[in-house]
Amino acid sequence: MNGLLTSAVAGLTAGGAYGLLGVCAVFTYRLVAVVNFTSAAIGTAGTFVLVVLNEAGIPLFPAVLCGLVAGVIAGVAIGLVMTKWFAESNASTKAAVTVALLVGIVAIGLRLTGGQHPHHFPDLFSGSAMRLAGVELTISSLLTIGLGVAFTILADVLLSRTRMGLHLRALSERPMAAELIGVPVQFLSILVWGITGAVTAFSLMIIAPQRSPDFMSLSLLVVPALAAALIGLFRSFWMTLIGGILIGVVEGMTSVIGGLNQYRGAVPFLIILAVMLWLQRGARWDEAR
Amino acid sequence: MKNVRKLMLAAGSIGILALALSGQALAAGPTCAGGTIKVGAVSTVTGPIDFSEVPKATQAAFDQINAAGGVNGCKIDYTISDDKADPQVAAQAARDLIDNKEVVAIVGGASLLECAVNGPTYKRKNVLDIPGVGVDAACFNSPNIAPVNAGPFTMTTAVSYFGARSLNVKKLCAVIGIIGGTDEAYKTALSNWEKITGQKLHMIDLSMTPGGDLTPYVIKVRDAGCDAVVTNHIEPGVVQWIKTADAQKVTGISWLFLSPAYTEQVAKALADTNQPVYASVEWEPFTEPNSEANKGWLASMNAAKRPLTAFSQGGYLAAQVFVEVLKKIDGPVTRGTVTSALLTMQPIGVALNGSAWVFGSGATHSPMQATKVVKLDHGTWKIATPSWVVLPPL
Repeated sequence: MNGLLTSAVAGLTAGGAYGLLGVCAVFTYRLVAVVNFTSAAIGTAGTFVLVVLNEAGIPLFPAVLCGLVAGVIAGVAIGLVMTKWFAESNASTKAAVTVALLVGIVAIGLRLTGGQHPHHFPDLFSGSAMRLAGVELTISSLLTIGLGVAFTILADVLLSRTRMGLHLRALSERPMAAELIGVPVQFLSILVWGITGAVTAFSLMIIAPQRSPDFMSLSLLVVPALAAALIGLFRSFWMTLIGGILIGVVEGMTSVIGGLNQYRGAVPFLIILAVMLWLQRGARWDEAR
Repeated sequence: MKNVRKLMLAAGSIGILALALSGQALAAGPTCAGGTIKVGAVSTVTGPIDFSEVPKATQAAFDQINAAGGVNGCKIDYTISDDKADPQVAAQAARDLIDNKEVVAIVGGASLLECAVNGPTYKRKNVLDIPGVGVDAACFNSPNIAPVNAGPFTMTTAVSYFGARSLNVKKLCAVIGIIGGTDEAYKTALSNWEKITGQKLHMIDLSMTPGGDLTPYVIKVRDAGCDAVVTNHIEPGVVQWIKTADAQKVTGISWLFLSPAYTEQVAKALADTNQPVYASVEWEPFTEPNSEANKGWLASMNAAKRPLTAFSQGGYLAAQVFVEVLKKIDGPVTRGTVTSALLTMQPIGVALNGSAWVFGSGATHSPMQATKVVKLDHGTWKIATPSWVVLPPL
């Protein structure tokens, strides 16, 4: 039992990362109606700019700023592709486009960053915050969860309490109508892409030192992040955050359960399936279809 | 009288035949039609991993031999085919090399899947393959393939053997990530370690997946009381593992990695750690430029301006052993004579490794059975075993 608690706490580090990136994914989906598979890759690009500059001898703070700017540029670039050419496409087409872009970004990223050769990722916030159930909870891990909570609150407030949030919701749900009533659709969309670029870049800068430090592994963090977003049904920020943390915790716990640990990667998806079935329990077949 | 004449005629004919044969014997050495010997390699160049350093080092070694007059006057015409880590492309590349380019052997490749995909083809076509770096389990499990590296499975046994012998490890734990069907090969490697040392593994975990969070695993081996952990991470995984161990403030565990850990980038990325990090190496450590064993390889790579890495040692070594075998062929160099020479050859002493390399007629081949171990020391790798750690026969 103790072992199970320990491994559950050990999974918090990963869970916080999944939750935070999941919240970013829901933010993008709710505001620009795109299931964005490139989000972690955008953040990774920004993080690698920080790493390369830092390796070249540039101090941490300016390197972080350059990394954030790179994240914004990458986000805006993807945003321009999506808004210029695929604004009128349906959700699945947009998702497919971002998958294609992800493959391209990963291929280029791997080439530019030396493939599997690791880099030195500076710890922005090094050290341990506390020890819980025999596990050191690092400052970075707690900060990741904290950022997730902060972003969730901010996103909720922005969307439900501000005029800009209202415009953004209009933009996401009825882009054409929003444009006709004078909402600056193009500007707002690009703004959202830029903000998520900066947030994911900063998130990845905190998450990356504890993860496999190569372009592909970091970019593929989008998979559990989107799984978390699925738990929140791409609507609820809080459910997404909790779902992400839960996936991390379950991953941690399954790593110590003999027999189950080989299927560690699959267990979160079973949870998602269970959540989806539970949420659909009241629906009749025709409605659910 | 008639009989005597017949006898003399027969004796004369035999004499002429013997003379002809001895004439051929006098012209001992390999010969080739058109002045070239065609050789190929199937390697992963584009795709998730770029192994091109290996065949490019083979190319550099062949170029140098060609520049010095070739093998008994025959120039080696070398073709590198990219399999893009795609099984279909790998199969097509092998067929193209064998049927269209008419290569006599496959030498110096390194691929994620080439051995598994093309092993049966090589068997059917009676072609032999000498990978510069054997990557997947099939490279060590085919009658037609004999790599010049020990590979991850023998290395698992060897680095664990080093742990028991030199670090006095009593509680060895193994945390292995399984890709493809490699679980049996790793289990055999660890059971070989148990047979050699007479010890029992303290803990084994085969559930690690690449790219996932490693905190639960590091906590698990810490709580299990392991005093050494052998694990098969590749470069980024090594960095992640040690950073996680540092974040969890783990002490008193020796981390035993395989050869992919042994790169300058890993050493630099882990410059801040105080964890005892060891890596077994396939050949004479490439970070030792003054080593006598590295002399030939260094000269060849510097002349060709190729990077000085372990991968380039593999490619270079594949070229060297192949040429050694070629030199022993008397007469035309064809696929048949090359295959026959490799199957019947005597072991060749290899300066770059403590074992002798041999192809031979076995059903499987894993000729390299020695390693040196390096230890991480503030951003550089230092040799922990000046002499070779040679695995005792089972």
